[in-house]
Amino acid sequence: MSGQRVDAKVVMLGKEYVGKTSLVERYVHNRFLVGPYQNTIGAAFVAKVMSVGGRTVTLGIWDTAGSERYEAMSRIYYRGARAAIVCYDLTDSSSFERAKFWVTELQNFEENCRIYLCGTKSDLLEEDRKKRGIDFHDVQDYADEIKAELFETSSKTGQSVDQLFQKVAEDYVQLMAFQVMTEDEGVDLSQKHSTYFYSCCHH
Amino acid sequence: MAADIHKKKGWEGPNGSLVPADGQPTERSESPTPGLAQGMEPGAGQEGAMFVHTRSYEDLTSPEDGDVASRSPEKGRGYQADQTSMEQISKDFSELSTQLMGMALDLEEEMRPSQEDKMDLSLQTARRDSARSEKEDEDVTMEAWRMHQKHVFVLSEAGKPVYSRYGSEEALSSTMGVMMGLVSFLEVEKNAIRSIHADGYKVVFVRRSPLVLVAMARTRQSEQEIAHELLYIYYQILSLLTWTQLNHIFQQKQNYDLRRLLAGSERITDNLLDLMARDPSFLMGAARCLPMAAGLRDAVSTCLQQAKAKSLVFSILLSRNQLVSLVRRKDQFLHPIDLHLLFNLISSSSSFREGEAWTPICLPKFNSSGFFHAHISYLEQDMDLCLLLVSTDHEDFFTVSDCKRRFQERLRKRGMSHALQEALRTPFYSVSQVGIPDLRHFIYKSKSSGLFTSPEIEAPYVSEEEKQRLLELYQYLHSRAHNSSRPLKNIYFTGPSENLLAWVTSAFELYVCYSLLGTKAAAVSAVNKLMKWIRREEDRLFILTPQTY
Ligand SMILES: Nc1nc2c(ncn2[C@@H]2O[C@H](COP(=O)(O)OP(=O)(O)OP(=O)(O)O)[C@@H](O)[C@H]2O)c(=O)[nH]1
Ligand SMILES: [Mg+2]
Repeated sequence: MSGQRVDAKVVMLGKEYVGKTSLVERYVHNRFLVGPYQNTIGAAFVAKVMSVGGRTVTLGIWDTAGSERYEAMSRIYYRGARAAIVCYDLTDSSSFERAKFWVTELQNFEENCRIYLCGTKSDLLEEDRKKRGIDFHDVQDYADEIKAELFETSSKTGQSVDQLFQKVAEDYVQLMAFQVMTEDEGVDLSQKHSTYFYSCCHH
Repeated sequence: MAADIHKKKGWEGPNGSLVPADGQPTERSESPTPGLAQGMEPGAGQEGAMFVHTRSYEDLTSPEDGDVASRSPEKGRGYQADQTSMEQISKDFSELSTQLMGMALDLEEEMRPSQEDKMDLSLQTARRDSARSEKEDEDVTMEAWRMHQKHVFVLSEAGKPVYSRYGSEEALSSTMGVMMGLVSFLEVEKNAIRSIHADGYKVVFVRRSPLVLVAMARTRQSEQEIAHELLYIYYQILSLLTWTQLNHIFQQKQNYDLRRLLAGSERITDNLLDLMARDPSFLMGAARCLPMAAGLRDAVSTCLQQAKAKSLVFSILLSRNQLVSLVRRKDQFLHPIDLHLLFNLISSSSSFREGEAWTPICLPKFNSSGFFHAHISYLEQDMDLCLLLVSTDHEDFFTVSDCKRRFQERLRKRGMSHALQEALRTPFYSVSQVGIPDLRHFIYKSKSSGLFTSPEIEAPYVSEEEKQRLLELYQYLHSRAHNSSRPLKNIYFTGPSENLLAWVTSAFELYVCYSLLGTKAAAVSAVNKLMKWIRREEDRLFILTPQTY
């Protein structure tokens, strides 16, 4: 069937209002919508095809709602994710605490999910340095501790947004290559490969 | 048909306004209910209905949970305060507020309508929008309160604010205290409805444990109708949390702050209140269909029906709160209230325009204890056509998403996208098509299908205010027709700016608005013509052949 194939599941997590939807919007449609804030309801899925070193990779991105109402159900959205972009608002320290919550959650339930910490709305810091809510070095230390990549992005200006998703895709391709290699040697280090199909099943 | 509308006296309230005051002489038809048997009326489905059969208000107040025993039998009982008890309440209220807010409030004083009875509605709307989006707090003085037609509050039984239509709940928490005191003062039993009337105002309380819903209204709605709206708000909250979760939370912690869980949903509730003030669907307890050729609708429905999956319960195609098609699982019926909540959810957020949403949703009238998962997406970027697929399995996203793709592919293959687009271009029809000169507007509901039809509201109802006034007239007729103690089958009403007619039978409800030029006899005979027209057009205006998977 002509269903679209998704290679890697990527989930956006973070407190409400930190800018997850805006980040996806910038990356997928290269635009920043001004206008009143529209909180996400449940979660939204969008697939994005990109190329990494001549290979095409389809990211299936889950943009989840930050509202606590959906917390109990969050597992259905991040289960089997290859990558999690855990967002916090650079100007809001409480959102960083919430990011830590998600990191712990992932460490407990999704060992094989790579974590990317993403400080959002960096354009606001350019306007006024004093707006930074959490010390950069503290965040960096934390990222090192949990072995996460750290990005600071702005969906408004587009700063570092493509780089973030490009890195996610590259890491995925690299990991797959590594897995294929180890499988050839007869050692399977990988977990069950979670590939989703839009249409019917494969295997 | 005409013979059933008996000669009745038109009645005009003081100042030409419609005051649904009790004890006024009213018109009642002595004649037996006529004509059309249920299921044979125009708009009745040929192969059964899509919806749970409803009796609008009565159905809304029926229990949605297993807790029947604790329900009070006296639903909808109004608390009509006579002069002495009003004074007593007023006194106690004043004492209560002194106690809680450190200042005395005179109930009668506070209930008095402000000088400016009419206000600029558009201005009001703009302001409330910015208040919500900018998270600005409105100044909660009694003065500001008065500017609005209706206030709605939701609080927990412990008196914690949950929702407020205007201003932040925070700023209103002291007011909530007064409300709460008043609730306990009135000894509103579990699941009961009470109301206080004070000149120009109605305060209606609906208690649905663990929540208390309060409305203060200056509209001409009856307390039944106001309670009806409050119940919709209650169901809206259930649709986000489920009845089970809501009760569990408050059993664990009586003074839980529910706003934490409802954060971000204020917009949905605001939208519901706005929608109820202008969309007759809620009043009718029915759904309106997008007018389109029967052949096209059937073909679209077939495509939708074929794009099925095991976990799907309902597939719904809609355009701006109008139904295009609905396919359901055999033996599963959707309740109009649940459908309205879905319509409201979709119209309240532009976030569904991008990608594919996958969200838990409780349909409280269907099952208030669990979540369905809804797949929500627009078919094309600039087309106002939204597809809603309701699934029982939250793991089934990709299967359900594939149903959408298959549906779209079928539409494309059969070349129907274009025809659909054409139909969307004329989402309303003009009342002039009926060919009755004095006819301005009407609402016709087929009871067995749970569907209604209504033309576009045209001149002289141009301004928002005029449109709302027309809806209020219908509300008034509706409340007279459905008055629990004295229901009326036929009403002819002569107002200062229009004449209205209502006709309610076991098969249908018809509300008609005429210009002042016509006579009553002409109005009555026009009903015949109108009914014939609806019959002729029924396959365009209704879904006559609903499909199942
Ligand atoms: N200045 C600036 N504002 C941003 C940026 N990203 C998002 N915003 C604003 O922050 C608000 C929230 O953005 P969303 O993307 O809707 O937030 P979210 O994380 O998806 O929120 P939920 O869906 O409720 O979880 C919006 O008003 C955006 O316009 C950014 O990079 N710079
Ligand atoms: Mg969002």
